[in-house]
Amino acid sequence: MIVIEGLSKLYARDVFALDDITLSVGRGEFAFLTGASGAGKTTLFRILLRQELATLGRVIVDGRDLATLSPREVQRYRRTVGFVFQDFKLIQRKTVFENVIFALRILGVPDVQQRRRTFQVLKWVGLQHRANAYPIELSGGEQQRVAIARALVNEPVLVLADEPTGNLDPDLSLDIMNLFREINAAGTTVLVATHDRELVRHVGRRAIMLDRGRVVESA
Amino acid sequence: MIRGLRYFVSEAFLSLWRGRRSSVLSTLTITIALFMLGLFLLLGANLERVVDEWGRSAEFSVYLRDDAAPSEREAIQRELAQDGSIAAVESVSKEAALERFRRDFPELAQATAGAPDNPFPASFEARLQSSGVDVGALATLAARIGAMPGVADVRYDRRWLDRLASLSAFVRYAGFVLAGVLVLAAGLTVTNVVRLALYARRDEVEIMELVGAPMTFIRGPFVCEGIIQGGIGGALALVALRVALELAKSRLAGMAGVMFEVQSLSFVPGASIALLLGGGMLVGCLGGLVAARRLR
Repeated sequence: MIVIEGLSKLYARDVFALDDITLSVGRGEFAFLTGASGAGKTTLFRILLRQELATLGRVIVDGRDLATLSPREVQRYRRTVGFVFQDFKLIQRKTVFENVIFALRILGVPDVQQRRRTFQVLKWVGLQHRANAYPIELSGGEQQRVAIARALVNEPVLVLADEPTGNLDPDLSLDIMNLFREINAAGTTVLVATHDRELVRHVGRRAIMLDRGRVVESA
Repeated sequence: MIRGLRYFVSEAFLSLWRGRRSSVLSTLTITIALFMLGLFLLLGANLERVVDEWGRSAEFSVYLRDDAAPSEREAIQRELAQDGSIAAVESVSKEAALERFRRDFPELAQATAGAPDNPFPASFEARLQSSGVDVGALATLAARIGAMPGVADVRYDRRWLDRLASLSAFVRYAGFVLAGVLVLAAGLTVTNVVRLALYARRDEVEIMELVGAPMTFIRGPFVCEGIIQGGIGGALALVALRVALELAKSRLAGMAGVMFEVQSLSFVPGASIALLLGGGMLVGCLGGLVAARRLR
């Protein structure tokens, strides 16, 4: 699913955010990207979401070389990737339902299907009863569930989660991780970035460890 | 398509409402710019009409030399009659001119009684066509006739007609220049207001980009916001113009009656209304486009 070869990202002269990274994540795999703050996790995610380009090396996701995509192809690519961030990235002036259905609207799916699918995912994350609430009325855990529902609503092949439990307490973190496990069980590739080693140990999946822009462990 | 448009419009109205202070400011800027443009169009159109009316009622007289030969007189009369601006030509003999003077100015009639010769020249008095008379064409005709043998002088109310025509042209050009500057300023204001809206919603825009929304979907509401501001600005400018015209009519009534009929002042023609409304929307659209262009 993800093939990275010799990836380097240089921000300023001799300041490598990522330094010659080579790794791969198989289709249907669940992997953690771990490392302390500043290790390069977020930079790697930004490159995987095509918000940034690599300085050197190749990044291939689901057969697409991300460096060669046209703006239109970038849009199409992003529609196949679900994302979840630490700060949830919800649109505050839209309700829970609107935040989730939004990702379907741009695909031109018929209205009835949009609504049905949105209710399905909200039910799956256990928030169907909060569909008309605004993000500000929800707890952190609930907001993150909305973000997960939005990431899943258009059935992506890959879900990228950058510190999805960073703002949550340990119990809620485990709940959220269980959701990711379920997503993965349905066949979706999941890559979760976290600095929480305890959580990684608890979930017990493959962990790719970054340190100062380099892969130091991939087991 | 229709769903997309509905989305753009509803998002645009929502954004305008949320940033209503700056929206009102930019809409008013467009209103002022278009009001000025409309005012000059209104003045220009009415001045042009007055020039046209006066031009039509203006006299065009050709005075003949006393020694003009009959063949020369005929040539002059033929030249006048053939011109498209002339409706009819009347020949006034020296005697008839003297007679008319005595009739029109009886108190001065005595002064002419003692004169050994009749001092009044024979003339051709031309009546102009009721429509389609071009002041420029009249000047050419006057020059052509004036150069013909047997002609002593050509008189028509040229000076003030020329002045009025050039005033009308000046009003129009000055209006376009001033309005152009104001419209540019209005466009820049819209750009900045839309840019503010964009800044306020930068998180939302980032989310839209991340879910792979097409650029038209992201930019659409911002461009639509500009178009709405421009359209409202144009409509307000038209209303203000109408009010200004009615106020002018009521204030000027009785003052300028000698020069022209105040009540006959007309509103800008349909094409100008379309220009003001369409122009406002175009300025708004361009402002929105310029602001949204930075989204890639």
